[in-house]
Amino acid sequence: MKKRPFLSFFRYALLLNVALMARNAAAQQELMLYLSPETWHANAANPAFFPKEKTVFLGGPAIGIDAAHSGNIAYNDLLRRENGRTILDLGGAINQLQPDNTLRIDQRNERALLGFRLGGWYLTAGWSQRTAATANYPRALAELLWYGNGPYVGQTLDIGPALSTVRWNELSAGLARDFGEHLRIGARAKYLSGSAMLVTDEARRKIQVFTEPDIYQLSLQTDYAFYSSSLISAVDTSGFGYDLSFNELRNRFGQNSGIGFDVGVQLRLSKRFTLSASALDLGSRISWKQNTAYFRSQGTYQYDGVFIPGTDILNGTVDSLDFGAALDSLNDVLNFQRADAELTTSLPTRYYAAAQWQLLERWVLGAVLHHQRDDRRQTTAVGFSGHWSPLPWLTVGAMYSINNRSATNLGLSAAVRLGPLQAFALSDNALNAITPYRSAAVNFRVGGALIF
Amino acid sequence: MTRKNALPVLLQALVIAGILAGCQKLALDDLEFAERTGEYAFPVFSTRIGMQDLMLKVLNDSVGGDTIVINPDKTMTLFYSGDVAEKPASDIFRFFNFPEVPVPINDTFYSYPFNTLDSVYIRRVEVATGTLNLVVNNARNQPITGTFQILQMSKNGQPFSMSFTVPARQTFISPPIPLKGYTLTSDSNRLEFRYEAYLPDGTRIKIDEVLPGIAGIGILIQGFTASYMEGYWGYSEYPLTLDTIDIDINQTNLKGNVKVKNPKVTMTITNSWGFPTRGVVKYLSFIGRDGKEYKLKSNVFFGDSIDFNYPSWAAGEIGQTKETHVVLDSTNSNIAEIFNAQPIRLIYEVAGISNARKDPSIVGFLTDKSTIALRMKVELLLEGSAENFGAEQTINANFGQFADFDTSRIEAVEFKIVTENNTPIGAALQLYFLDDQGRVLDSLFSGATPPFVVKSPPVNANGVSIGTARAETFAPMDVARFSRVRQATSMRLNAAFTTAQGGQAPVKLLATQDIALRMGLKVKTRLGGKP
Repeated sequence: MKKRPFLSFFRYALLLNVALMARNAAAQQELMLYLSPETWHANAANPAFFPKEKTVFLGGPAIGIDAAHSGNIAYNDLLRRENGRTILDLGGAINQLQPDNTLRIDQRNERALLGFRLGGWYLTAGWSQRTAATANYPRALAELLWYGNGPYVGQTLDIGPALSTVRWNELSAGLARDFGEHLRIGARAKYLSGSAMLVTDEARRKIQVFTEPDIYQLSLQTDYAFYSSSLISAVDTSGFGYDLSFNELRNRFGQNSGIGFDVGVQLRLSKRFTLSASALDLGSRISWKQNTAYFRSQGTYQYDGVFIPGTDILNGTVDSLDFGAALDSLNDVLNFQRADAELTTSLPTRYYAAAQWQLLERWVLGAVLHHQRDDRRQTTAVGFSGHWSPLPWLTVGAMYSINNRSATNLGLSAAVRLGPLQAFALSDNALNAITPYRSAAVNFRVGGALIF
Repeated sequence: MTRKNALPVLLQALVIAGILAGCQKLALDDLEFAERTGEYAFPVFSTRIGMQDLMLKVLNDSVGGDTIVINPDKTMTLFYSGDVAEKPASDIFRFFNFPEVPVPINDTFYSYPFNTLDSVYIRRVEVATGTLNLVVNNARNQPITGTFQILQMSKNGQPFSMSFTVPARQTFISPPIPLKGYTLTSDSNRLEFRYEAYLPDGTRIKIDEVLPGIAGIGILIQGFTASYMEGYWGYSEYPLTLDTIDIDINQTNLKGNVKVKNPKVTMTITNSWGFPTRGVVKYLSFIGRDGKEYKLKSNVFFGDSIDFNYPSWAAGEIGQTKETHVVLDSTNSNIAEIFNAQPIRLIYEVAGISNARKDPSIVGFLTDKSTIALRMKVELLLEGSAENFGAEQTINANFGQFADFDTSRIEAVEFKIVTENNTPIGAALQLYFLDDQGRVLDSLFSGATPPFVVKSPPVNANGVSIGTARAETFAPMDVARFSRVRQATSMRLNAAFTTAQGGQAPVKLLATQDIALRMGLKVKTRLGGKP
């Protein structure tokens, strides 16, 4: 689809930013999940976790999202529904933006899970779809998109965003074993199949726009590049606008693959006190070799308008002042050159350590420490929880946690059991989960399983 | 029990419904931008007009052959030249127009008057080309022999002489005899022919007439030209030139008031005629923009006349060329006043008078290369002042993509005009947008008086501008006007120039000076939402 306005690139850039992350809308700090080992899905946080006194587990769909924007930008600050349409409105949000802003979205969708207990051995298998996305974008990008370049005459706007979005399928097989009555150690091997990826080149993030105060001559400098697999297959800047080919190439299962490992340990020091720890996505990497390309735009473009030789004016021999045609060449500088490429992306490694103390028969207190690091971000969180089982089929929990974003996070959880059916909903930040569209950070996980 | 078991199911249903609703809200396939006001700023065009180019344009629009001279101090001088009026002597003085039939020789001694102007007496002629045939008709029954002589025509000191023999009752036609190299001498503009004819018995006879009154002997002279003539040129008036020089430096019908410092008209006469010639200015007037005639008066003329320099026979200057320069400027004429009226044309007519003083002692000459040439030239040093001096130019325009924009969403536009001028000329500009029929759709500036878009920098005591004057002018335009403007297919630029200090001080225009003109545009428009 061609976008007519000559500054459509700027529209494109932000739209791409939002669209990529919104399409992947979704989740990965999961403190509350980790401290809910009675739910089958907690196995995702620690392969040594296995609900007590159960033998077979069939995990149903589960969705987990952990998303946050720097500052206090909430979904409703950006998007709203109006007459059945989704409206992107940056007007109110721009004033809240920092010079540099970060939006991250992690998502984990469990498609199928299976677990068996064989004496002191525990076998698990699973299939999940995961997304990890981070975007760093300058406020100038939003401003230029929203208000045009008119208000920024004389200012150099750096608008190049840094993006990292990886979407992959994960097939896992796990094994855990009790060592005595107190110790259980688990490990899980994961086969990773990348389905889509878009990662900007950190060394090439330059997109600068400058509008001269003189007669608004436009100066554009780019040295911007990104890797993409499947998401964008072509950037056509010919003509008047930008043509992006989205999702035209589908990565088949296994075309871009890698492996990763989870390990975990659970130590019951007494009937009431348990320690546990896990390391997830150890060494996880995906090698992108198929449908993978490197797009690079490099150039300097100066548009001074149509130049008319003075002699042509004097002689009346100006063929025609074709203003529009001259602007077409603005696209030339953004002409992304495509080259086949290969890239290996690392997945963020996460660490959990926790302690739980069963205060009463129906009360369990816990504390958990979470740390995650990758090339682009490093986060640490700590939470303190209490779980209460007022009824045999219901367990509810609450948690206070501190993370890099906020020191006031109230987590809640609820797990119900109806015969073999187990369902749960939990969040590390329950208030935001209840009103996700008014919150700058969203964290929740819901799911169900059949447990026998 | 039933109610107890229904609760978790209900909770689950709520959770799932919430998730589904959330996913629906997160779906961005139909993403639209909210409506807001944005503003785009971009350049439209730029140009740079050099003073030298401008002056060349002025010249190109006038008669060809005009020139612009860059002086050593970088000042420029415009030269408007009229045609070179070159008169070969043969155009004025037609001698020796021999008839195309034989000249009858009516007697044995016959004086033949050759064709000259009344006031001219030729005393010596050197023949360049020509041939002579002698024709003798013998009507008798016996042969005739004889000789024919032209006493004033000699070669190497020997008079022209030829013998002839004519058989009885026959006609003799001699072969053509080349005359090149012969010299004719005469004090009376006449050639004298003499013949002697004899019968076989020695009796001298006069050739019988062919018919009564028609001589039986004659000569045919063809292709006669002279390479040199010498004699006395008396008083005689003849036309030299009538010409017009276009000097429309205004280029426009706009009113203006331009003053050019030290305009000059130069008359250059190149003369190789070897006798005194007086030029008589029959008509020398400028035609002003108002159509009025402005007579150029000067004290360099003596009763509208001036004597041209000439090569003197007495001084041995045969073959030389002498020039006469007549300069009419503000010191000896009213030309400065005339140029205040912005003349567009110079019309002049000049005649010649030979030996105007009627001096009988002057011996003159002409050669076959003798010419007299007269050139009039208007010389304008580009140093002057102008006030509202108009210029006009039309250029094509195509707004391209801008012509297709949906203006219903545009709130306002604003043109920005920037000029950087290092000439000592400022200008008020108006730009008219024209449709394909040349009709005015609108103008850039809406006021009755166009703004002074080009400012002139200050000038020094010599009238040379100092530095560069930058001017920014904004022309806001509402949507209705912009909608009309962007449909334009051409633009007409009207400029009214005024030199520094309000056109009161003379300034110099240098070839290195120029004016940069640029235009940008800001468009404030509604963005997003439903159009």
